[in-house]
Amino acid sequence: MSDIELRNLSKRFDGTTAVKHASFSIHDGEFFILVGPSGCGKSTLLNMIVGLEDASEGEIRVDGERVNDLDPKDRNMAMVFQSYAIYPHMTVRENMAFPLKLARLPKQEIDSRVAKAAGILELGDLLDRKPGALSGGQRQRVAMGRAIVREPRVFLLDEPLSNLDAKLRVQMRTEIARLQRRLGTTTVYVTHDQTEAMTLGDRVAVLRRGEVLQIGTPRQLYEQPENLFVAGFIGSPAMNFLPARFNAGRLELPVGSLELARDLRAAVAASEGPLVAGFRPDHLRAVGDRAQADLCFAARADVVEWLGADVFAYFDVTLEGFEAVALPEDLDIEAGRQGRSSLVARIDPAAGLKEGDTLDLGVDAAQVQVFEAGSGRNLSLSGRLDQA
Amino acid sequence: MSAAGANGGRVERLFWGVGSAVVVIYALLPVAWIVSLSLKRSADLGDNRFLPRVVSLEHYATVFRDPQFSAALWNSIGIAAISTLAAVLLGAFTAYAVVRLEFPGRRLILAGALAIAMFPPISIVGPLFNTWRTLGLYDTWAGLILPYMTFTLPLAIWTLAAFFREVPWDLDKAARVDGATAFQAFVHVIAPLAAPGVFSAAILVFMFAWNDFLFAASLTSTDQARTVPAAIAFFTGSSRFEQPTGSVAAASVLVTVPVIIVVLLFQRRIVAGLTAGAVKG
Ligand SMILES: Nc1ncnc2c1ncn2[C@@H]1O[C@H](COP(=O)(O)OP(=O)(O)OP(=O)(O)O)[C@@H](O)[C@H]1O
Ligand SMILES: [Mg+2]
Repeated sequence: MSDIELRNLSKRFDGTTAVKHASFSIHDGEFFILVGPSGCGKSTLLNMIVGLEDASEGEIRVDGERVNDLDPKDRNMAMVFQSYAIYPHMTVRENMAFPLKLARLPKQEIDSRVAKAAGILELGDLLDRKPGALSGGQRQRVAMGRAIVREPRVFLLDEPLSNLDAKLRVQMRTEIARLQRRLGTTTVYVTHDQTEAMTLGDRVAVLRRGEVLQIGTPRQLYEQPENLFVAGFIGSPAMNFLPARFNAGRLELPVGSLELARDLRAAVAASEGPLVAGFRPDHLRAVGDRAQADLCFAARADVVEWLGADVFAYFDVTLEGFEAVALPEDLDIEAGRQGRSSLVARIDPAAGLKEGDTLDLGVDAAQVQVFEAGSGRNLSLSGRLDQA
Repeated sequence: MSAAGANGGRVERLFWGVGSAVVVIYALLPVAWIVSLSLKRSADLGDNRFLPRVVSLEHYATVFRDPQFSAALWNSIGIAAISTLAAVLLGAFTAYAVVRLEFPGRRLILAGALAIAMFPPISIVGPLFNTWRTLGLYDTWAGLILPYMTFTLPLAIWTLAAFFREVPWDLDKAARVDGATAFQAFVHVIAPLAAPGVFSAAILVFMFAWNDFLFAASLTSTDQARTVPAAIAFFTGSSRFEQPTGSVAAASVLVTVPVIIVVLLFQRRIVAGLTAGAVKG
């Protein structure tokens, strides 16, 4: 068990910078997540921690000791690869025993550790099979088994679930979380799936194009995203975004206007360029009468998605007099086209909403976050921080 | 529907069965003919029968009594083995570099190797004969091993490169993280996975060297380095009016046996799909 500290860590490949000046700490025993879109440098960062890639710049410290120049074999970290990378010519037992044999542990010790890990991962019946005769989920467990037998200082997992089907993924996710709690080993987990990040992580770092945008608990990222990218990346369905402008103390949106809190007003007045207003689908709700929310408007439900406990309804709104928001492309959110935009709301299934119905929707000023479109900065946050 | 399925299965099995039988018979008929010839008595050689009337081992006895043949067999084994070892070793280094390392001229090496493989051997035999005489390589093992390596290296490089490309290199990284040195990772993980490729390449090179007649006949003159295919051509009958057909047949059978043994030995190791299950399907 160990803490990891990255100091100004960078990695350049010829032409691209895969990781830019990453500086943060991972605490002892923590389940830490690196999340971000494809190509943002997550694997590169992980490979630098484990020693498979050299850092171009900066320092990696484990328990205060600089490990930059240590060979991977001397770092005592265990890694689970996206491809599992279990040895096809060895049985499950030999796969799990391999790191222990290299460490020259006595045979008895090896046997007992393998048996213990096999018990934890329910691999007991498969010990003498070759990987070719295993299912995807079983291979994944073998890869986990090979990592835990070593009792390493740190677990590193690079998208360990991305090759599994949806159901198995949820199941393995829970198993990994349970395993980590039980072993208490510092864990760094890479994923591009924000749901995985939110459900597993003690803390999550959001990466984009090699830069660490924000580090925080899942709740902090969800409630107080520091910028437009994090706001749009975290949460499913994604946050609603609408173009906005500031006028005489009020925030004007295509669907109406609302009064801003005083400290937010100051921050917004000091900002530059166009604004973007964002609010979560959970905060856009059906209202019976117009006095129930700070901003109310009527909209027609285009698409209604019924998920059992939840209903997500997609509403079409026009952007009269506003330019559509230019959202970061790598967010993959449709911000609107031809003067129209779509809003998502979580609706109570009991309301019996049908496609084509028109509904009065409302959102409260406290739930609306205001972003500077150019820099992506979350102004509401700076307002709140000033207040604190 | 299940009946139709079973029926379809039967037709399919029949199709494959008959197809395989035709191919096997076509390929093995000449071999069977030679085996049959080698077992006939000298007097029966021209009897136009497929099976020998009386099975006799007299030709085998003749062949083994001939000191030329045992010398040639020894030469063949030695020369083919050394050529194979050298070509596969060098080929493995080259293929590894071409697959794993980034360096200028990677493609050029592969293209150049292919160009050499295309080169007709007959065109260099003449110059080689003169050069070898000057250098003192004529009628030596080295004199044959060198051209064999030249002509089989491209084959070895291409085969090995194809296999190395298939090795999931994440396994190498996994082994390093598991605590292996680069050398241990190679020995315990990469080498076992690349073994089928090495054996395939070895068989191809061995067969080329073993069966070659052109270089063997042109670059040797005595039992010092003459290999079996060349030696067979120098067989004489028991009288000058007799064709050595029986001895040639017996010798041919004898030289085919080691090749069959080598292939059978290695065939089990060339199991396709050995790497199945290493990484996601
Ligand atoms: N060996 C390399 N040579 C050159 N560029 C590289 C190399 N490895 C990675 N890169 C580049 O570095 C960037 C980050 O790559 P990385 O593999 O860390 O992304 P990632 O976040 O793990 O993405 P994914 O989710 O697709 O796995 C990418 O732009 C990639 O093209
Ligand atoms: Mg990756």
